[in-house]
This record gives sequence, C-alpha cells and structure tokens, in this order.
Amino acid sequence: MNNEKRHMGMRTLNAVSNTTIHILLVIISIIWIIPFFCIVMQSFRVESTHMVSYVIPHTWGLDNYKNLFAEGSFYPKWYLNTFIIAIFVAVLQTLIVLCMSYTLSRFRFKIRTKLMRFMLILGMFPGMLTLIILYNVLKDLGLTEANSVPGLILVYVASSGMGYYVSKGFFDTIPKSLDEAARVDGATRAQVLYKIIMPLAKPIVIYTILTAFMAPWGDYVFAQYVAHLVPDGYNVAVGLNSWLSLDQIANNYTKFCAGGVLVALPVGILFMCLQKYYVEGVTGGAVKG
Amino acid sequence: MASVKLTGVKKIYDNNVVAVHDFDLEIKDKEFVVFVGPSGCGKSTTLRMIAGLEDISDGTIEIDGEVVNDLQPKDRNIAMVFQNYALYPHMTVYDNIAFSLRLQKRPEDEIYDKVTNAAEILGITEYLMRKPRALSGGQRQRVAIGRAMVRNSKVFLMDEPLSNLDAKLRNQMRAEIILLRQKLNTTFVYVTHDQTEAMTLGDRIVIMKDGYIQQVGTPTEVFEMPKNLFVAGFIGAPQMNIIKTQLTKEGGKYYVKPFGVKLEVDGQKGEDLAKKGVATRDIALGVRPEHITLTHDKNAIPCTLEVNEMMGSELHLHVFTEDGTRLIVRVPTITLDPKDREELVAGKKVYVTFSGKVMHFFDPETTENLLN
Repeated sequence: MNNEKRHMGMRTLNAVSNTTIHILLVIISIIWIIPFFCIVMQSFRVESTHMVSYVIPHTWGLDNYKNLFAEGSFYPKWYLNTFIIAIFVAVLQTLIVLCMSYTLSRFRFKIRTKLMRFMLILGMFPGMLTLIILYNVLKDLGLTEANSVPGLILVYVASSGMGYYVSKGFFDTIPKSLDEAARVDGATRAQVLYKIIMPLAKPIVIYTILTAFMAPWGDYVFAQYVAHLVPDGYNVAVGLNSWLSLDQIANNYTKFCAGGVLVALPVGILFMCLQKYYVEGVTGGAVKG
Repeated sequence: MASVKLTGVKKIYDNNVVAVHDFDLEIKDKEFVVFVGPSGCGKSTTLRMIAGLEDISDGTIEIDGEVVNDLQPKDRNIAMVFQNYALYPHMTVYDNIAFSLRLQKRPEDEIYDKVTNAAEILGITEYLMRKPRALSGGQRQRVAIGRAMVRNSKVFLMDEPLSNLDAKLRNQMRAEIILLRQKLNTTFVYVTHDQTEAMTLGDRIVIMKDGYIQQVGTPTEVFEMPKNLFVAGFIGAPQMNIIKTQLTKEGGKYYVKPFGVKLEVDGQKGEDLAKKGVATRDIALGVRPEHITLTHDKNAIPCTLEVNEMMGSELHLHVFTEDGTRLIVRVPTITLDPKDREELVAGKKVYVTFSGKVMHFFDPETTENLLN
C-alpha cells in the first residue's frame, strides 16, 4: 500500500516537473524565434522599404529579393566573397585541425604536452587583441580593402590548429591498435589517417567542417576592419550592415531583411542535414576528451 | 618464412623505464617461439619492436638476415594479430581481410581468391559480408587471423590473441592455431601470459621477467629443468611447491629432510648432484604438485587438509604441514579409493611423500637451479 502511494507520488512529481520544463522550453523557443519570424515577414513586405511598427506585411511580394540581385547591387559580390572565404576556410581549417588532432592524439614527441598547454593559454586571449596588428600585416601584404578575401582567408585559417581539442578527444577514443594493424598491413601514416581514422571519425570531420564554415560566414568585426569601407571587399555581414547606416536605412531596410534570410538559408539547410553528426561530434569528443 | 635474430635489443622509455634489457635470441625459420611472462615483463614490447611498432633503444633486429631497425612496419613483411582483434569497424569482413592486398594494389581476382581461401580455412565464409560488430569474439579473432594469413608474410606475430576469449573458446582456438601453423608452415612469434598456451603451442618458450630473459627452451626443458625459482613457479599449474630445507651428503648419497622426514635423492638427480660436486647446504627444494602423493605411511610428511578443490579428473588439495608451510597436492581421482575420497575434507590429517627423482634443487639466495 505504502509503496503504491510512493509510486503515485513520484509519478505526479515527474508529470509536474516535465510539464513545467516543457512550458519553459516553449516560452524560450518563442522568444528565440520572434526575431527570425520578424525578419522573414519584413523581407516579403513590398508596400514600403523603411522600418515600420507592424510585423505582418500589408502587401506581399518578392521585390526585395529581386532588388538584391538587380543590376548595380553589391549583394551578389558580397555573397560570393563570403562563400569563397567560407569554402576555403572550411577546407583548409578542416585539414589543418584534423592533421593537428591526429598528430597530438597519436604521436609522442618531446614538446607535445608543452605545446598543448601553450595553445590552451594562447586560446584564452580574445582574438580581438590581434586586430590592429593583423590589419597592419595584411595591409603590408596588400590584402586589405578590395583584396580582403584572401586576407580574411589567411586570418581565419592561420590559427585554426588551435581548435584541435574536440577532434583530438574523438581520435583518442579510437583504439591505437587500429592504426598499428593498418601500419602492419602496409599502410603509411597518411593512409592510416584517411582510410581508417577519417571514416571512423565522420561525425567529428563533419562537425569540424560545419564550425569552420560558420565562423567566417557570420564574421563581422574582422571583415569590417580588413575591407575598410571598400564595398568590393565586404562580406555579407559587413555589406548588410552598411545598409543600416542612417542615410541608407530608409531605402534598404526590407532589402536588408531579405539579404539576411538568404544568408541564413545555406547554413540552416546544412545544419538540418548534418545535425545528427554535429551532436555525435560534440558529445563523442567530450566523452574521453 | 624467415629467421628472426635479436641481438642486444634494449627498450628504454622516455621516462627512463627500461622495459627490455639486452635481449638476445635467434628464432629459426619456421619455428614457433612463445614469449611468456607476467604483466610488465617486456614480452609484448619485444614483439612490438620486432613488428616495428616500438623504436629500439639499442641492439639490432634482423629478419631473414636483413637488419630492420629503421624499417617501417609495412616494409618488414610481417603479419600481426592483436589481442583486441583490431578489426576496422567500418569495413566488412571481406574488406578487412582484403585491406593489405588492396594497399599492395593486387588485382581484384587474386584478392577474391585469397580472401575466400583464407575464409574457408578459418570457417568464416558465411560472415564475409558482415561488419565486425555483428560477429562474436571467436569469429572476430578468426577474421584477424585471416587478415594476417593472406599477406604471405615472412613472420607471423601474435600478441595475446586468445586473451579476450572465454575459456572454452580459448581451448578451441588454441587447437586451431596449431592446425593453422601446420598449414602456413611459417615462422611464428607468439606472446602470452598463459603458461598452458606457451607449453602447448611453442617449439621453444622464452620466459621473461622484468625485461630479462629467464630461460629459453623447449616446453619439456623448461618444465623438467627450470633454470631458476621464477621459471619453476611460472611453468606448471598449480605452481611448484617450494620448501626451504637442507641438502646433506652422506656416504656418497644425497638426502633432504623436509619437515623432519628424511628422503633420499635417488636416481638421475642424485647422480647429477654428485657430478656437480654439490656439498651439504641449504636449499630451496621444489616439488611439483602432481609429483606429491598421498600415502597411509605414518612416517611420511604429516599435513592437515585445508581446501579440497574438485577439478573433475583430479583433486587439488591445499594442505599445511606442522610448521605451517602450505603445499598443493594434485591427486588424480582415478587413483583414489571412493571411501578415501569422501574422507578428504577440511581438517583431515593426511600424509604426503615424494620421490627423489622429481625433486628440483635451487640456491635460496641466487634462486638458480643447482643442476644447471
């Protein structure tokens, strides 16, 4: 009897806490989704181009999207700049991070632990501290303003080796004897990496690609400094922001919203397709990291 | 097929721990050599140095007359089976076995023939399209052996391949390795911590402790003439009984007096002691449990039975003598009267004895066998 009562009590308690948690989550989700919803709505508003005090457009249309790609618009150039940067960074950073992680996970060399500690400490300094010096270096190399694309690729890729933690943690969970078996079977170290380790580390490879792609895709501060008021060198974030300046916002606000939606689209799709691997990558690396 | 020669091989780790000291051994072509010893004795390290998976701190390793110290594992023409199977989880059994052949860029027809042939020998044909996770431990180990087989390598290295299997499967796989060895007819180096595996598989056994070779010999040699107390204790199960006593020489004959009972060292052992000119001295007397017999003779060594382990075909009796020394006695059940057997319960007083022919004599200080 007593036991039954206790069970009933537990069940009620569980139900109450579950309901509370779900209500909280729904509220948080709504708060989260409101800005996105507003931007999407505004991007379809055609009756005016300035900011208004209502959300649902009175007249719907695709004019804002068409205007983004109209002749004379910088938007396609900005989009292309961002895309080129993100693709290069995704490829190069993934290669560097995976090689770095594999090396730190598998090889034992004298300064290994010192190097890892050094990178950990270095990573604690905010990246913004390097802004001025990086700008000057890039300027000397001629990689600013209109040439900001290769300059930004260089900046994003240069320190990518320091992001080895998660993938090294993942590699550590793959038994070393697999490497050894493959080496005895006749594989070189490089073959071990791409024939054995990479297929097993698929979630972490995808996680690395995703994070490497997203950082430059949404970057504003570095891109703003490096492009320095030359629209040809802007990325999407900087370009869109230029439409929000006092003299432009009245004509460009709805276009800004449409541009924002198009920026979010590829990342959103990519994320939805690879979500499974992303979660596996983060948690997989964390277990034995 | 090749010989393997290790000369003065040493392994010192970065933290200055010496794992293997001056290891000298020549493994003949087509020989099956087993490295055996307790954990941390350096047996796996030595095998991994032969494989090229560990650097050598000093000395040379030759395979088929060629020094391989600086060669990568892939260039040593060896095959290796790992304790944890080390199968590639993302590949099917077929791809696992074919992996090395594909790296050598062999034609697919040849790969197919070799893989199916190996699978047939190992009885895993029906699992070729499965992934390793869908196999049992025994099947996985067969795949690992198959992967090593198809390479036709000069030397076959096995690092505790049966340790992860249950006892029944281990016995079965042990027999299969013996058959496999006959079929492959190549040089084998096998590492284990299980003395039964070592005794049953090896042409020669290398017994190691703390990075040093203790003895190298055939299973019969290491069993019948252990070089020191460590080997005596390690080879044979249950392990040899060691009794501290005195060896006396009286009128050209040798006697020992374990627990106050005088026993003559007769037969070959007595002659060998005389040849070596051993004088009266303290010794550590070794007697294997199977060489001690129960007797009704009241002049024999009196003991009290502590534990009686029924092993099926034999009993393992743990007894202690009047001075508290513990001995283990192996008694084949077939030699026991059923009435006597029932009486063998804890606390029962029994008498045990052994013949001089089966005694082993060790120096209690150096632990060396006096007849070596």
